[in-house]
Amino acid sequence: MKVLIVEDEQGLAESITDYMAKEGYVCEVSATFRDADERIYLYNYDCVIVDLTLPDGDGLQLIQNLKRLIATTGVIIISARNALEDKLKGLEIGSDDYLSKPFHLSELNARVKSLLRRRQFGGHTEIRFGNIQVVPNTRMVYINGQPTPLSRKEYDLLLYFLSNVDIVLTKASIAEHLWGDNIDSADSLDMVYSHIKNLRRKLLSKGADDYVQSVYGIGYKFGLR
Amino acid sequence: MKLLAQTNRIYFIFSLVLYLLTAFAIYQIVRLLIYDEVESRLKVEKRDFEAYIRTHNNWSSIPYFVENKIEVTRAEPTTQVKEVFSDTLILNRYDNELIPFRQLTFYESIDGVIHRVAIRKSLIQSYRLIEAVSLTMVLFLGVLLLGMFWFQGKLSERIWRPFYNTLARIKQFDLSHNASLNLEQPTINEFRELNQVLQKMADKMQHDYRNLKEFTENASHEMQTPLALINAKVEQLIQSEKLTNQQTHWIDGIYQASRRMSRLNQGLLLLAKIENRQFADVQPVDLTDELIQRLMDVEEILLHKHIKTTIELEAPFQTLLPPLLAESLLNNLVSNAIRHNQSGGCIQVRSSAHQLQLSNTGLELQTDPETLFKRFKKESGEHESVGLGLAIVKLICDTYQLSVTYQYEAGMHTLTLEKVHQV
Repeated sequence: MKVLIVEDEQGLAESITDYMAKEGYVCEVSATFRDADERIYLYNYDCVIVDLTLPDGDGLQLIQNLKRLIATTGVIIISARNALEDKLKGLEIGSDDYLSKPFHLSELNARVKSLLRRRQFGGHTEIRFGNIQVVPNTRMVYINGQPTPLSRKEYDLLLYFLSNVDIVLTKASIAEHLWGDNIDSADSLDMVYSHIKNLRRKLLSKGADDYVQSVYGIGYKFGLR
Repeated sequence: MKLLAQTNRIYFIFSLVLYLLTAFAIYQIVRLLIYDEVESRLKVEKRDFEAYIRTHNNWSSIPYFVENKIEVTRAEPTTQVKEVFSDTLILNRYDNELIPFRQLTFYESIDGVIHRVAIRKSLIQSYRLIEAVSLTMVLFLGVLLLGMFWFQGKLSERIWRPFYNTLARIKQFDLSHNASLNLEQPTINEFRELNQVLQKMADKMQHDYRNLKEFTENASHEMQTPLALINAKVEQLIQSEKLTNQQTHWIDGIYQASRRMSRLNQGLLLLAKIENRQFADVQPVDLTDELIQRLMDVEEILLHKHIKTTIELEAPFQTLLPPLLAESLLNNLVSNAIRHNQSGGCIQVRSSAHQLQLSNTGLELQTDPETLFKRFKKESGEHESVGLGLAIVKLICDTYQLSVTYQYEAGMHTLTLEKVHQV
């Protein structure tokens, strides 16, 4: 999987690269419009992550150029301008997702994964982890082949975990993933706790291994012990 | 009190006093003149009387003195020999009426005996004259007074008109709009100067305001990227296995702070955008429906906090808003109602065609309710919120012809949205 990161803030590009590299992606970084434009002509990427404000050009223009070349490449916009027009314009010209800065790397990672799943297998894919099997198309979860009904939020939570295996997720990033940016009260953190408790209970009751670990003071991690 | 009413009142009182004084003075002068005249005539008659006595040495009422009454009585020899003028009233023997007379009293020796002599002259004609003169004067002065008063009113109105025009313009002037103040240039120097100074001030204010707004906006924009960087680095840092609990705690502190900053930033950016009227796509929005939708979205939080929701729906509250701002408005209202609620409390929605109320249980405000809608005002001890939520609500309402008011009654905080009818 090849990912191009178009971001002029070097530190941020570095962090994204490191994070994605751990997930097994091959990452390349462009800091300027010209460099990125050149790369999309020369190489083939599965996914392009684009910052809209580049020092020498507009990210939206880059997306248009890319879409003319290869329409199947997934595009995720990351922007400091949290403007609806940008979001709509971006989606209109063919980008798949929009994240406004600052965002969580885990969220970006989950979005990239979900995008690639949709792009590459038309969604006809399933995610397996240990004895858990998830079919995103039907939103069904099976444990040891047994269907396990989960609530909507529990399913979203499980998928978020599965997209970020072996990564410490902050409670805030989970809360934001589940309820969006607008719920900022301390209660949402309590709710994360109770949702995780419920999810864990349901998974364990069907005989799944306990994959969820709590990381002291900061969040949770999903993975093999 | 209006300036013109005030000057008119002072002018009126002053003129009235002057008018009364003048009238009184004229009356006195006329009266003095007439008395002077009457008295000199009485003196002449006295001389006539004396001359008559000297030649005849005796007195009897003879037709020589037809016009005046002369009364001669025998006086005590000890009485003072002095002539005195006095006013007196005498009954007219025909129509039984008291008639004013001026009387000169003196003592004269007739035939060796001292007599008291009183010569009188009727004042009735003179009084008529005084009345006529005074009345004429009063009438003329009255007309003059009213005329001046009217003229003064008209004049002031005309002279002060540029001032009132300026005042009206300033009242309508809105700093946040881009329209300049545009004052006219009246011919009166003082007003022209006033307008020039005001114009200069308004331009400066607008300029500063724009600068400040731009600064806020740019600063907020520029801050998003470093914040994203901090977030990303923290996320990477916490992946490390070797962190001690203490270090994790510190990192969490950094993380929380950067998140707060980013929320703050987004709030400020939103405020700046609303002020700049960057949301143009106004659409009819059913706020009641959206609010109920919003409450359903946060159902889990409500359940978690054991908050009951009751809805009294009379009619949907519909208004014109950009959809994004409608969402922001309701999000802030709902978060507010949840954040300041207590476990086991309730949230009430009351909706009618002209108002939408959202009430929640909660402790009484410790801060002044007046400051509730101000930026960065929050209840002490609240760390999660950045204190912009209600400021955003207020600004959205102010910008899109809605009013928002707050009441606290019997443990319920109520925010009421109403449509403002434009004049």
